[in-house]
This record gives sequence, C-alpha cells and structure tokens, in this order.
Amino acid sequence: MNKKREKDEHIERLYYMKEDQTDSIDALKSAMNENYDATVIDELLSEDMVELTEDRNKINLTKKGHYYACQLIRAHRLAERLLYDVLGGDFESGACEFEHIVTPELVDSICILLGHPKTCPHGMPIPEGQCCKKSSRTAQSSVIALTELEVGQSARIAYINCKSDPQLHKMDNLRIRPGVVVTLHQRYPAYVIECEGSNIAMDEEIVANICVWRSPEHLQAAGKEAGEKHSGRERFRHGHGASS
Amino acid sequence: MAGYIDSKKEKEWGSLSNPAELKKIVIVGLPNTGKSQVFYNLTGQYTLVANYPFTTVEIKKTKCRIDGETYEVIDTPGLHCLYIHSEEELIVRDMIFSEKPDVIVQCIDANLLKQSLTLTADLLELGIPMVISLNAIDETSRRGVWIDSDGLSCLLGVPVIESIAVNSLGTNQLKAAISKARIGKWPVKYGEIIDSGISAIASGLPEDIRFKRKAAALLLFDDPFLADYLTKKYGSEKITKLTEQVNRIKKQFRANIGHAINNKRSRWVEELAENTTRKQKVTLGEFSKAFSRLSRHPVFGIPILIFFLLMTFLLVVHVAGFLDKILSATLLDPTVGFIEAFFKAEDGSIKAQFWYDFLVGHYGILTLGLFNAIVTVLPILSVFFLMFGFLEDIGYMPNLCVLVKRIFGKIGLTGKAIMPLVLALGCKTMATLFTKSLRSRKEKFIAIYLIAFAIPCAAQLAIDMGIIGRLGNLRLLGFLIAYGTLAIVEIGAGFLLNKTIKDDEKSDFLQELPAIRIPNPKAIIIKTYYRLYWFLKEALPIFIIAAAVLFFVDKIGLLDLTKTVLSPIVVGWLGLPLDIVDALILSLARHEAAAGLLLDMVDAGSLNFIQCVVAVTITTMFVPCFANIVAMCKEMGVKTGLAMTVAINMSSFVLAGILNWILVFTIGRWIL
Repeated sequence: MNKKREKDEHIERLYYMKEDQTDSIDALKSAMNENYDATVIDELLSEDMVELTEDRNKINLTKKGHYYACQLIRAHRLAERLLYDVLGGDFESGACEFEHIVTPELVDSICILLGHPKTCPHGMPIPEGQCCKKSSRTAQSSVIALTELEVGQSARIAYINCKSDPQLHKMDNLRIRPGVVVTLHQRYPAYVIECEGSNIAMDEEIVANICVWRSPEHLQAAGKEAGEKHSGRERFRHGHGASS
Repeated sequence: MAGYIDSKKEKEWGSLSNPAELKKIVIVGLPNTGKSQVFYNLTGQYTLVANYPFTTVEIKKTKCRIDGETYEVIDTPGLHCLYIHSEEELIVRDMIFSEKPDVIVQCIDANLLKQSLTLTADLLELGIPMVISLNAIDETSRRGVWIDSDGLSCLLGVPVIESIAVNSLGTNQLKAAISKARIGKWPVKYGEIIDSGISAIASGLPEDIRFKRKAAALLLFDDPFLADYLTKKYGSEKITKLTEQVNRIKKQFRANIGHAINNKRSRWVEELAENTTRKQKVTLGEFSKAFSRLSRHPVFGIPILIFFLLMTFLLVVHVAGFLDKILSATLLDPTVGFIEAFFKAEDGSIKAQFWYDFLVGHYGILTLGLFNAIVTVLPILSVFFLMFGFLEDIGYMPNLCVLVKRIFGKIGLTGKAIMPLVLALGCKTMATLFTKSLRSRKEKFIAIYLIAFAIPCAAQLAIDMGIIGRLGNLRLLGFLIAYGTLAIVEIGAGFLLNKTIKDDEKSDFLQELPAIRIPNPKAIIIKTYYRLYWFLKEALPIFIIAAAVLFFVDKIGLLDLTKTVLSPIVVGWLGLPLDIVDALILSLARHEAAAGLLLDMVDAGSLNFIQCVVAVTITTMFVPCFANIVAMCKEMGVKTGLAMTVAINMSSFVLAGILNWILVFTIGRWIL
C-alpha cells in the first residue's frame, strides 16, 4: 500500500468515527486493526490534518483534514452509487462487470471527460464512438428526472432519491427500483407511471426523485419504441430533485 | 383506534398456547389480488368483491370443510410486506403473528407476479406451510405472458395453483393443495454480516417470541410498531439492550441495511420471475389499457365520468320507475285493496280505524315500512347496484383518484386520503374505516369529516337519482344543482378545515391503480344479489320499526308538536312543507327510509322543483347513517366522532337553507 493510500484510509476512518461521534485513539486502532500506523498519524499531524488532545488520547480531524476527508468520502460514495445502484453491481463483493452493464451514453460521457482516448493502458486501440466522431466537448447528463420524460416515453430507472426509508420500501414493494423500465403515462392532474405491468399514480415530488437513464436506444431491448426524436437532442440537463 | 390495536396486542407475538382444535387457513396477498373471491370460492361465504384495492378493510373468519377436515378460514385486507407502512397492514401482520396460522394461502395476481413475490419472500421467511393461488391466469395468457407455475412451485418449494378465481376455476385444485401445503425454501442470503446479525438478535429475543428470525430482521429494519410493542411488553431495559445490539450491527455494516436487504430480495424476485415467465414479443394493443388512460385523462376523463353518471341516472329513473310500477300493481295495490276490503264496514266507513291506519295509513307499517322498502327502494337500489357493481368490477373508480388529485390537494388531502374519499361513493362506513391507513391526524380528521358530510354513498346516490328523476323535464337541471351544491359544500368544508387545522406531516401519494377488466356478469349479479339481500336483512326491520315509531308518535300528538316547534326552521328557513319533518325523522333511522315519503310527496305535487332539490341536498348531508357514526367514533374517538356528527347536522340545515334562498331569488320566478 502506498503512503497516500494509507493516509487516505486513516482519514476516512476518522471521518466515520466522527459520524459515529467517537474520537478516542483506541477506537481508531481497533477499527483499523493491523493497518494502523503511528507514523502515518505523525505525518498527518505535521500536515495539520489531525489534532491530538487529552494527552494524545483523543484524535480529531482539523478543518483542513475534514475538508480533505469530505472529498474522499464523496468520491467513495459516488463510486458506490455508481457501482451499486446505477450499475447494479454486487455490494459486498464490490465486483461488477462494467462493460456489461454500463449504458452507451455513460460510456460516451466518460469518453468525453477523458478527451476521447485512442488506446487503452495496455496499448490496444479503443473503438471509436459517436462522440469521438463528433469530437464532442460537453458531456450530457446521462441521468434525468422521470418528470423530464415526454408522456408515453419509457426509461430505465438509474436510482431513486428517497426522502425516507419507509418511502423507499414502499416503492420497492411496487417494484419501482433501479434497473426497471418505467413508462410515463400522464402528467396532469397527477403523474401516472407504468411499472412492471401495474399503473401507479403519484405526486410530482416522488416522480422528480426517480432518476432514469436518458437513452432511448437503451430501451429497444425492452421492446419499446420510445422517443426516436429524443436521441438527437443536445440539451444539457441535470438530474432534478437530488436533495429533498 | 389505539385501544383497538392495544387490546389485540395482548395476544399477538407472545402466548405460545394455541387452542389448535381447528386448523387455520389465512388468506393473504397484495391489495386487489382476489383474496375475498378465493375466500368465497373456498367457503361459500360471500364478502364484497370488487376490482379495486382495499375492498376488504377488516378481517373476516368462517369455517369450512376441506378433505374431511374442518378449517377456520380467515380473509384479510391487502398486505404488501411484513415491514409495515400502515395500520390496516398492521392488523394483518398482528393477525398472522397472533393466530399462528397452519396454512397461508397467498393470492397472487398473475399480471403482477413480481410485486407479489416480494411478499412471498417475506412469508417464506416465517416458516409456515404455504400454498400460492395464482389468480387471473387467463388475463396473462391473453396478454402473451406465460407463467410456468410448476417451475415456480419447484423453485419456491410450495404448491402453486393456477386459477381464474372470478369463475371459481381452480378452486378444487386449491382445496386439494391446502392439505399438501409445505414450508417453502428460504433461498435468500442477505450476506454474512446481516445474516449473522439476524441470528444474533434472534437469540437475544425474549423466549416466547414467535418467528424470531423475522422479528430480528424487522428490528434491523427499524420497524416502529415492533419496537414499541416489545418495549411495552418486556420493559424498556431489555429492549434497550436489543436496540444496542441492533445499532452495533448497523454500524458494522456501514450502509443502510434496509436497502441491502431489499436489494437482495429484489434480485431473488427478479431471477425467479425471469426463470418462470415467458413473454410474447408482440402483442395487440389492449382496449382496457386505452380505456383506463382515457378515464383519468384531464380532458377525456370528465366526459367519461359524466357519461357514467348520466347513464346510471337514466337507468335508475326509467328502469327503476318501470319496476316500481309493476311492483305497485302486482304487490302494493292488491294488498292495500285486500286490507281495505277487510276493514270496510257495510256502510262504506272503516272499522277499527286505528288498526287500519297502523297497517296501511299514512304512517302504516306496511305502506311506509314493508312496501316502502320493497316497492320503492328495492327497484332503485337493484338497478343502481347493478350499474355500480359494473363500474366497480371494471376498476373504474380508482382512476378517479387521478382526476380529483389537484382539487383534493387544495383542501389539504395530499396523499393517501384521496382513495378513501373516492371509495366513500361506495360505502361511507368502509371508507371511514379505511382511513386507518392515514398517519397524519389532520388528514384523517379532514377525510373522515368529508366522508361523513356531503358525499353520497351508493345507496344515497341511487335514492337521490330516484327522487330527482321524478321531476320531469327539469330533472337533469335538478340533479346538477343538487350535486353541484354538494360538491361545492364538500370542497368548501375541506378548504375551511384545511385552513383551520394545524399542519402536520404530509403523506405521500403513491397509489396503485387496478387494471381495467372486462367484468364477469355473473359476479356482478351475485354481488348485486348480496347487496340487496343485506339491504333487506338490515334495513327492512328498521323501516318497519321506524314506521311504527312514527305512527305512535303521531297518534299521541308528539309529531304535530315537533312540527310546530320546527316550523320556523323547516318552513321559514328551508322553505319546505312541514311534512318533510317525517322524512327527516325517518332518515335518522336510515337514509333510504325517507325515500318513500319524498317520492310520494313529489308525485303528489306537494314538493316543487326548488323544494325537491333542497330536500335531496339536506337528506344527503343530514346525519350520516348509524354505522358511519360508529366507524367515526372508532377512528376518531367517541367525543370527536359525536362532535363531528353534530357539526355536520347543524351545517346541513344552515347550508340547505342558504341553497333554498339562493334558488328562490335566482331561478325562483322563472321556475315556479
């Protein structure tokens, strides 16, 4: 394990401890097991990332350390989101077969972000995508809120921003969950979506929290001919309602 | 309500003693999956069946013999899973935990296999022998979906019986399977941390708790009802330890355990469904789907609603009027003639005037009681219930939820309260009981008040149509004015209540809409038959008693006294003839009972257009029926329930009076 990685691990652990409202150095030791390294702590001290109090018994992140930790955790959890929810990978093993589950649009987005690389790290050529041909510069948001679909269109659910566990549970019972194809039937006076053969009426707020893959091609497998007109659209969109 | 749950709690989860003379079969399943139909098929005991969720709101029990053994069969309201969202689901779970059923029959709508399998996963975890009744299998095959029920049975380890419950097909196979019910396989692994956590919690649970594994899983899920129950029963000390343990496992897992469990289960369902269903690649567009879309469309939905109302109205007016005439000619007139002949003295006068009046006088128990029910009310109700049953069984009504959503939002009913209000068009009592599912006290209060207030129940709607139908050319106008007023009153009341009651948590609107189905005529006829049978059984004695009471009150002069006292209100304020007091008194006993008198008055021309409209409006708002009041008290507490009743009555007098004066000053001259 390289030094940066080790430091990161310690900082992540300290962040978790803060979430759990513990701050004793013993707790850190026991949580890290054999990975605990006193020299790392010293280095973090010198970098002003952590502070020790109460005769070196309590350890806390400094403001700087906390900021750094937030970025780590953000990356970590976004990755989890991607692997676990969006790509449907297995949570505990962490393994997922990326190329089998990722959507073409997401691949395009990644390609754009990386500046259309021509070869893989092993030197093998990467086949060109539509985005390379057009040398697109702006990545489209691959995930949009279900509310942004046209009436009659279908899309596969990427993930759901739920306000509470019971609500998520309820949606789960109705089989509204990542990976499922839903069709938007009606917007007014209330939203009606079709999911796994059943029609469900719901509030706009809930629908706005369901985020779907924008790709229409993606759905052809499901036998829907949704939105040919959709594909050429060059609008830049953000997922909605991410924080309610 | 709290009391109701608490008293049941005593028996639940705990006590190991089971009388066990009778084996128990519990029918469970998602809402609208045919539980009550299967209950009827198994036992021959009819309970109301319809194509919408939560037709059944209370548990029903009866006994039946299957394969020479007597079972107790229990029908339950819909249940999505054992992790509970609402009180009415809690009743089912409590029942499963307390009764310790010997066999669970899970009803699955074959169209919604995946949704139901989530519940199956939950039920399998209990380790109770199970049979699955796969209903509506005809519809899936029509849609080009084929379900391998044998394969499903193999994978689940429990019998899966295909059936078309509405036609009673598959009932014998289901009966045969019940004795062969088996404990299914529990194939879902949640992962090491969760599984070992569940075992650890389970071993720490009090000795006499049943279904330890499930209970432990529910605790990990933060099930609020279970934690409360355990705290109450075993004291907070023991439970604090458990909670600590649960929290420790949660921390160890470092992610949301609920999400993880759901995901595992969901993948299991997905895999199972994938392995057992085949889907045709192309299918024809379905009329029913197009219809359901139109029926809740903001533009096309309204003409469809008006069409159904109008059709029902015309059917009630013409067919019921026709039946009324036939029945009068064949039943009423000959009987009255016979009695008249019997009492008539030679000189043409009536002997024993008292007894003559008692039987066939103005308040006679035959004329106002028996024949009122059979000749006047029964034809109206039978025509109406046929039509209403048809609408119920095609699944039209829940689609109204979507149409009225915005309006209801304005009056403080955002989420779950919408469905009960729509269902109140069927039976207000059932709708009131259904509000159990509302967590927010504000929404519950508004919903119960509005249900009791200006919404007509099916029987009331039928009677109103019958009365206004006699108005001749002006009947449509009359119907529009009366029901327009009721709608305005209802919305206004909701608006006021919404403004005056303090806000609390808003519930989510997340409502499944049943598929539109082509109904089975036999099922509608059976349903109408039972509704009429129940009406006669419950209402006929009340009709007769009410007539008798009115007769005696009249004879001792109390009736005239009441009329004199009420005269300023009835004649002055409401602009109605004094005789309407009779009708109001009768509707205290039962709303339909007033129909006969009102119809007579319309026929005799003693009610003009305005008076008729005002009379219909006030009888619809006035006094919710007795069962409704009991349900209100049950849900809101006796004090609030009665206070609501009084408030409703007062406002119905005030509002009907206002309507009267508005009508007199606007269209009065033109019409009268």
